[in-house]
Amino acid sequence: MIEKSTSSKMLTLIKSAIAAAVLPVLFIYIMIAKPDYRIMNRLAHIVLPVANVVGDIITWPVRVVGNTIADIHELSILRSENAELRVRLDEAMTRNNACDIAIAENDSLVRQIGMARQIPHRTIIADVIHDNRTLHHNTFIINRGKADGVDSGMVVVSPSNQFAGVVIDAGENFARVRSVTDSETNIAIHIAGYEVYGFLTGNASRTPTVGLFSDPQFKPAKDLTLVTSGISGVLPSGIFVGKMKNSTDVDVLQPGRLSRVIVLKFDTALEYR
Amino acid sequence: MKENIVKSLRALFPFLSVIFLWRLSIPFWNPGGILAIIPIFYCTFIKPTPWFMPFGLIFSFLLDYNLGALCYWTALYCLCYALNGFQSFIDVQHRDFNSIDMFMLYIGLGLVFFVIANLNWTTFGRTIWLFIYMSVLYMPITRMINRVKNDR
Repeated sequence: MIEKSTSSKMLTLIKSAIAAAVLPVLFIYIMIAKPDYRIMNRLAHIVLPVANVVGDIITWPVRVVGNTIADIHELSILRSENAELRVRLDEAMTRNNACDIAIAENDSLVRQIGMARQIPHRTIIADVIHDNRTLHHNTFIINRGKADGVDSGMVVVSPSNQFAGVVIDAGENFARVRSVTDSETNIAIHIAGYEVYGFLTGNASRTPTVGLFSDPQFKPAKDLTLVTSGISGVLPSGIFVGKMKNSTDVDVLQPGRLSRVIVLKFDTALEYR
Repeated sequence: MKENIVKSLRALFPFLSVIFLWRLSIPFWNPGGILAIIPIFYCTFIKPTPWFMPFGLIFSFLLDYNLGALCYWTALYCLCYALNGFQSFIDVQHRDFNSIDMFMLYIGLGLVFFVIANLNWTTFGRTIWLFIYMSVLYMPITRMINRVKNDR
């Protein structure tokens, strides 16, 4: 048994009662504030930048050392990368002409078959400042927020135009992005080259799974390309998501590889949840 | 003057250690800044520090925001705080190895209920890793807090 004075015991009981009283408030809030949790997110928009600034001040020596090591490592690979890039540039220049012809042909074909492709009316380039991969949650934070035009539901792609995730919360100068590997990711996809649609579901592993195909006879196979389908108007159509690794798993963009992303604003009817 | 600064830094150390660990979040080693739970737990339940409870609450909330966990760790923190205050059977403050058994219980139950709805081999492996890793780091971090407080 713990021996305590009466006043100390009373104080402990009062503090515990206050903590206990917070619990039902939290539970009721979770139940009624679904799905956007506005109050909680607004509170985070105030507390998070303050904590980040204080954290930046405290951790600067560690981050300086970390950045220096990363810079040295980057410098060491730049030379070989540069030589490789020169070779690839030469190859690209020779292919450029063929590409121009192909683009013109493609435009003509698109007009002929009447295919509609959504084009973003705004793009915002952002840097990844926080990678929050943990357990079954794979989110990351970017350094652009409402002040730059970023809002919930906007699509995030890599510089190579591969689907990276969706903005789920936007603060004034930062935004939180749910990556494609997050366990809550569930997006409608289209198998390129086939009239087959399905759903891609994240499971926190490196390879989300695809299923619930519109055609039950369809046999998914390795190397099939998946793009967003635009069904239900939640996500725009035609964004490259990944390639099938086998009959269920999909090779998608890993959030850990991202340092810079592009946020796209489309005119979609519904907001992504 | 110098003594005042040292004294202030000593008093601030538990708070600074929480911010430090939360801010230095790295996937795999410190996902979402989850290591901040160690000083939060220690300075709330084992070596209660004045005014630490509201601070712990705020950082549990920030941890939840990083992990996309709504109010999970915040609610768990409040629940344990309430349970600990109402009970007088277990003396959590005076157990061996800075009450590491209590910490393992806290973090173990916390992690299990956190991932139970999304359990697969990947999350199972990550849960086991985090549990072992955090349990191993508990002693060095708490000893450092004790040393700074000059309480050996």
